[in-house]
Amino acid sequence: MQNRSLWFWLFLTPVILGLGIVVVIPFVYGFIFSFTNWNGLVATEFLGFQNYINLFQEDEFMNSIVFTVQFAVVTVILLNIFGLGLALIVTRNIKTNNLLRTVFFMPNLIGGLILGFIWQFIFVSVFGDIGNMFGIEGMQGWLSTTNTGFWGLVILTAWQMAGYIMIIYIAYLENIPKDLIEAAKIDGANGLQRFKNVTFPLVAPAFTVSMFLTLSMAFKIYDQNLSLTNGGPFNSTQMVAMEIVRTAFSDNQMAYAQSKAVIFFLIVAVIALTQVYYNKKREVEM
Amino acid sequence: MKGKTFYSSIGTVLLASSIALTGCSFSSGENETSGDGDNESSGGGDKVTVDVFQFKVEFKDQFEELVSMYEEENPDVEINVKTVGGGNDYGASLKSSMSSGEEPDIFNIGGPTDVDEYEKYLADVSDTEAADAALDGTLSSVTRNDETLGLPFNQEGYGLLYNKQVFEDAGINADDIETHEDLEEAVQTLDNQKEELGIEAPFAFPAKEKWVMGNHLANTFLADEFNHDVMETYESDTVQFEMGDQMKRFLDLQNEYSIQPTLNLDYSQQVEEHFSLGNVAMIQQGNWVYNTIESMDPEFAEENVGLLPIPVEGYEGTIPVGVPNYWVVNKQSEDEVVEASKNFLDWMYTSETGKQFVTDEFKFVPAYEGYEDLEIADPISQEIYNYASEGNTQGWVFLGAPTAWTEDALGVAMQEYIAGDITWDEVEEKATSAWEESRQ
Repeated sequence: MQNRSLWFWLFLTPVILGLGIVVVIPFVYGFIFSFTNWNGLVATEFLGFQNYINLFQEDEFMNSIVFTVQFAVVTVILLNIFGLGLALIVTRNIKTNNLLRTVFFMPNLIGGLILGFIWQFIFVSVFGDIGNMFGIEGMQGWLSTTNTGFWGLVILTAWQMAGYIMIIYIAYLENIPKDLIEAAKIDGANGLQRFKNVTFPLVAPAFTVSMFLTLSMAFKIYDQNLSLTNGGPFNSTQMVAMEIVRTAFSDNQMAYAQSKAVIFFLIVAVIALTQVYYNKKREVEM
Repeated sequence: MKGKTFYSSIGTVLLASSIALTGCSFSSGENETSGDGDNESSGGGDKVTVDVFQFKVEFKDQFEELVSMYEEENPDVEINVKTVGGGNDYGASLKSSMSSGEEPDIFNIGGPTDVDEYEKYLADVSDTEAADAALDGTLSSVTRNDETLGLPFNQEGYGLLYNKQVFEDAGINADDIETHEDLEEAVQTLDNQKEELGIEAPFAFPAKEKWVMGNHLANTFLADEFNHDVMETYESDTVQFEMGDQMKRFLDLQNEYSIQPTLNLDYSQQVEEHFSLGNVAMIQQGNWVYNTIESMDPEFAEENVGLLPIPVEGYEGTIPVGVPNYWVVNKQSEDEVVEASKNFLDWMYTSETGKQFVTDEFKFVPAYEGYEDLEIADPISQEIYNYASEGNTQGWVFLGAPTAWTEDALGVAMQEYIAGDITWDEVEEKATSAWEESRQ
């Protein structure tokens, strides 16, 4: 008993130390700094909640929150549809199953920054040229308006992350006992009914996992945002993470940015926890 | 009993991990000593180590070469160079290395805002030769209470870079373009014969880049109201846009006759894809694009790029020239290190070897006297040095604007104006109120 608990703590130490040093301590520090006028070098004044009061009156920050929420809603829906769709395709008995899985997963292996630049080229040059050639107005001038910037980001994220979500769904789909599907088949359920009443409820746990992943990812997105639109035009496609970085490093208001980050943290935490709570309740026990 | 076990095991664990950690530090300590030993055996005597933290990625290799030349001449000085990419990244990493205690001995700062922020680190360098040789006005933004806190890096200037070949084919003489009306006429001439000239449009205007509009374009029309003085700008409570109409006119001209849509056109497309490859006749940029153009087409860069001043009423034939960055020495370092740092900066800008290197290899437009007989390596810089030495310059007042104002207030407003969301009057209103707010 004594030995076990010694080993237990010994093995845990590196993780606790690591987590403490790089996550917990900076977090506490940051929280404290958010109440001051810290500029990255010195904090001379304790401001109380002044930073927090200011940030709710700042249009730019509020706009970035609205934009991020819109983005999160759309991407979470699209990603789960695409992820599940792809998973259903590759769990059928097609010969190229493994090849397809690799291909669908591939975008996820490319870094977000590079993807952003690749898609920037596609949206601006390739789309522009195709639009010119066939006279399609809607394909010209991508990323030069707020709307096209928004959909550009959505397309990029969906393309990048769908393969990852697919993997999660595959794992659950392959775990569905064949006899359940067979029984449904014998009872005369058609394909759609089998999907709706058997498959779908049984992959519900996968929704919990992947909705949590996609939601928190959609909120925290930064590199794709930076390389694809860089917030432009006129900072209207700027997401919260980017707005915070800008406040900290180009406006030089470290403490103010820190208070925005605290608010951001609270929003993400609340959304994520609520969503996990509700999805857990709905899951079907196997 | 159980509690006791728990604590004792925690104690054991902490002990074990502390041994592991100190183990690490021991080994690294050993490495350092052996490193020092090497130095002593080769150099002999006490070495002064100077840490340089600089931002100009473009000349990293050349700078390191110069440093090793200096080290050869001065065996008792060792200089470590660390380079971190331009713009915001440099500011952030400088800040973090300052607050983590790894303070560099020589580093770079930009305008007066940086001076205020880092003031307690900045040593007085007025006793250096370089400070004496610095051209008039280049030191004004780093002078505080009779102390000179920095040495200019170089000078940069900008205007309208034009494709000489295209101008010639279109029958336009660049020397005749002085006023806005002249320019407009030239642009229309170019636009009318786009196909014969083989260009897509007269301009490539990167409205996606807020700095091109908010910093450079705006500066030419703001310099006058601040008397071309960075410090006056820095102390001003408001901005009037006295030349707002001209600013609008010039912005409209570039935007209207540019490759469309401008709002997703960026700097690299402007310079590399459009200008270097001859898709457009003119771009509004400065001497910093030379290396990029050269990497695309050396011959074009050498022969075919001319500089045209941006037409401002009352300032025809002048271009904005300024010092974007300064070298500063860390006051908190030990005295001998401060001394060695100053000597190095002096040597770089005032010794024969250094001067040769600054013009030939760095391709700088020098901000110092004593370069009159040296040939500047690239033609755009040469042209800017000519303007500067003839005194045909305007100030770079945007360096004195409130932090991020040029981009996040003015640049953003200009983008909204280009998108058609707001009128020009609203641009001025927004920018003015943002300025006043941050100067309260």
